Amino acid sequence: AGGDGGPPAPAAPGRAQVFSTVVDTFLEKLVAAGSYQRFANCYRCFYKLQPEMTRSIYDQFISQLQTSIKEEIQEVKNEGNLEVLFNSLDKIVEEAKNQEEPAWRPSGIPEEDVRSAMVPYLLKHRSYLRKVLKEKEEENRKVAESVLAGRDRIAELQQLIQARKHAWQ
Amino acid sequence: MSVNPMAYEAQFFGFTPQTCMLRVYIAFQDYLFEMMLVVESVILKKLDGFPDCKISPFQIRKSTEKFLLFMKEHFDKLFSKMEEVLLQLVLNIPKNVLLPEDKVHEQYPYSKEQFQALQDEIHQLQKQYRAEASAGQALRAELEEQKAVRAELEKILQWFDGLESICREHGTCNFKESFAFLTQNAKKLQGVLKDVEEKSKKIKKHDQLL
Repeated sequence: AGGDGGPPAPAAPGRAQVFSTVVDTFLEKLVAAGSYQRFANCYRCFYKLQPEMTRSIYDQFISQLQTSIKEEIQEVKNEGNLEVLFNSLDKIVEEAKNQEEPAWRPSGIPEEDVRSAMVPYLLKHRSYLRKVLKEKEEENRKVAESVLAGRDRIAELQQLIQARKHAWQ
Repeated sequence: MSVNPMAYEAQFFGFTPQTCMLRVYIAFQDYLFEMMLVVESVILKKLDGFPDCKISPFQIRKSTEKFLLFMKEHFDKLFSKMEEVLLQLVLNIPKNVLLPEDKVHEQYPYSKEQFQALQDEIHQLQKQYRAEASAGQALRAELEEQKAVRAELEKILQWFDGLESICREHGTCNFKESFAFLTQNAKKLQGVLKDVEEKSKKIKKHDQLL
């Protein structure tokens, strides 16, 4: 498997590999236990009558059993998307290999656990608010300047009008 | 003996490893039984082809049970070993491993107090923003008012300037002075009128008293 041509392949087999090996071993040992000798011994009378038939029935039995078991395993792998999950988990475990401390686990109390999940959003929200507040303050500062200038201008105009009025008294 | 619920593994795989193993165990066992029944029925059928033989179906059944019992024992033992390995090596997440989806808990381990402080800070910022926003509205409203007032005042100024230019056009530079003189006299006349009125009122009263 491995072989992406870059970094050297990991020394330990991945989970997918272990899974296959363990299942194969199970089957092997099961078949070894249910040997033909054992089978023929149990069906002794029939074996005496029809040895070849006994052999052929046994072979079919073993072959069919192995096929069914392998198919079931494949179905479980497909349904659970296990190949992908195993490889993904291998990677995650590899990346955490320098972590010695036990990692965080769900506390079982949703209110506690959801806090950390919300923090990044709150932090983003806070920095957004800080930004728009600053912009608004700056904007208002400029408008306030205009307002003050406007008041001065109006006072000026009022003075000019008073002056004219007096000139006509 | 405490049972490990393997909840974190279930979070990752989408199923509990033990449930998976159980499902597989039951399936395998079913196949084993099924196959044995098939074997038995095949043998019985073959026996039909030998009407003389002294083998009874009961004997076949006994043979089947014997073989099945033997197989089942080995099956259980072998499966148990396989399950142990799978649960320990394959379907498990080591204690030091944090799933990527849970990274925030490593990055932001906020206590209740820290979290509350952050929320409070945000509420404060929102309040401040709202205050700034309404202040801005008020400022802009005044700006609009100022525009209108300025326009009126400039109109008045223009009117005065217009008056001035009329005077200049008609060459009556004394018009302003004579106009001012006129308004002064008008005021004086008003003053005199008032005096006369008051005096006549006094006389009338005096007459009445007499």
